[in-house]
Amino acid sequence: MTSMTPLVATRTRRPIDGWRWFGRIFLVLMLLYTAVPMIWMLLTSIKSGFAAMQLPPQWWPNEPTLASYHKLLDPTNSVGQDFLRFFWNSLFVSTATTILAVIVAVPAAYAFSRFDFPGRKFLFFAVLLRNMFPAVIFLVPLFILMRLLGLVNTHGSLIVTYLTFGLPLAIWLLKGFYDNIPYQLEQAARIDGATRFQAFLLIVMPLSAPGIIATAIYSFIGAWNEYIFAYTFLNRNDQLTLPVGIQRFFSENTTDFPGLMAASFMMSLPVVVLFLLLQRYFVRALTEGAVKH
Amino acid sequence: MTTATRLADASLRIKTEQSGVLQQTWTHRADYLYVLPAIVVMLIVIAYPIYYTVELSFFNTPPSLQLRDKIFVGLNNYSLILQSDVFWRVTANTFIWTLVSTVFAFILGLGAALALNRDFAGRGVLRAILIIPWVISAVAASYIWKWIYHSDFGVIGAVLVGLGLADRPPNFIDSVGTVLPSLIVFNVWREFPFAMIMLTAGLQTVPDQLLRAAKVDGASAWQRFWHVTFPHLQGVSTVTILLLAVSNFNSFIIPWIMTGGGPSNASHIWITHIYELAFGRQRWGVASAYSVLLFLILMTLGYFYVRALTGGERKERGA
Repeated sequence: MTSMTPLVATRTRRPIDGWRWFGRIFLVLMLLYTAVPMIWMLLTSIKSGFAAMQLPPQWWPNEPTLASYHKLLDPTNSVGQDFLRFFWNSLFVSTATTILAVIVAVPAAYAFSRFDFPGRKFLFFAVLLRNMFPAVIFLVPLFILMRLLGLVNTHGSLIVTYLTFGLPLAIWLLKGFYDNIPYQLEQAARIDGATRFQAFLLIVMPLSAPGIIATAIYSFIGAWNEYIFAYTFLNRNDQLTLPVGIQRFFSENTTDFPGLMAASFMMSLPVVVLFLLLQRYFVRALTEGAVKH
Repeated sequence: MTTATRLADASLRIKTEQSGVLQQTWTHRADYLYVLPAIVVMLIVIAYPIYYTVELSFFNTPPSLQLRDKIFVGLNNYSLILQSDVFWRVTANTFIWTLVSTVFAFILGLGAALALNRDFAGRGVLRAILIIPWVISAVAASYIWKWIYHSDFGVIGAVLVGLGLADRPPNFIDSVGTVLPSLIVFNVWREFPFAMIMLTAGLQTVPDQLLRAAKVDGASAWQRFWHVTFPHLQGVSTVTILLLAVSNFNSFIIPWIMTGGGPSNASHIWITHIYELAFGRQRWGVASAYSVLLFLILMTLGYFYVRALTGGERKERGA
């Protein structure tokens, strides 16, 4: 037996190395696949409009320039004015959605995790099922509804819609966190005289902070990147959020690729930074429900 | 103390099992307060629109969307859809788009998760870079890829010409034959990170001892993957594949911004087609009928989705 082990080890070493090399090559290819488009975006954004349209292309810009960024961030010209307004609109809508989503999702997720009321299962399935339906199915009636409520061309229409469509996942994510907080902690607090609500507020809420952070990031990124509803509900130029605003803007200036790439970069920056800073919570929340069983 | 609470719990459970549904509802009336805000919001913004979509699908509504003037046409909208050639074209596109995107996103995600499962310097940075495409806005990403695929100045075309593989830059998204594959390459770029995240988490549930035991017993790397790792990933794989399939089926932004469904419907999928029928051509009735059909398909998928998500919970409880 003891003489067998080293023999086996030497026999298996070579295939392991083969797989390891395969893995390395695979990762390099994936890195290229992922990074090349993003690098090309950055390189294009620091070219002049003329330099971007050459064949063969300038692989590295001959005269790198930040002109496109200056133009987008300068409030004194019309391009910068529009871009900054879109940016502000996106920020406002995303922040409002995030705050409301947390306020509504926290109690709901807690109830789904802790209580055993009749209809709980049905409701939860409804919540899960909502996740399956694309926005387009709801678009026509929602458009009618928003017209009825006088919300067309307001940020209110977007906030209400994003809130609703973000809720199922927000509740699902948060429920995973509450499931992991031992019920005994609350019971102990209640034996010590706390009401159920006090136990929830003082014991459970602080413990679920990572879950709430994760849910908040998810809501924020979702609202920031949303396109269909904003595209349908908003018409006035001063109301547009970034995705629609950029599209509208560049359908008029189809050849300004450096400007377009700079705008894409600026638009991606907030969510990427947010994600990189808080990815631990985010990833954990997303996978919590899926791997538990 | 724990035994006391457990006893209290058990007696409570027995009590609720004995009483009727109405009484239970009354006993738990305070619990509903927690879910009430969520229910109210969802009823207004989800239940009402579903009802309305079904209703509109049986009517012809004028382009101005004046609901007073709508005319009842029965199932006419549905038969119009099934008779049109575009329907079958779009259905085939949707099928290819969903299937191919899901398969490749899953395989690449699994590969990346496995390759990153070994500890090495720079692993965290690499993982973060691979996730970025999934985080950024699909609109921004669409413009990036539109630029890369540009028929005159696109970088891929320039590389192909530079390597002597093509005389002139190919038309990736302006020709019927290549548009769908080109869009799928882009779509997979955006989606494989999601599969990678899910499967990375799944890999952490594979017990180390089992892998080591298998190694000692002389199992090859492939055998260890197939007989130890893979069975542990089945639950999370099912959920991931379903979520990928649903989100691919529901894609809108990528085809809409990249091509708007063109050229000659070659990249129209159901969702973009419905959008164009409704808001492009104001054919509200036909668009609603399409939505109802879509709804039925998704309900079927949803059945499996809920089963996959809750199957584990039931097992856990049974144990």
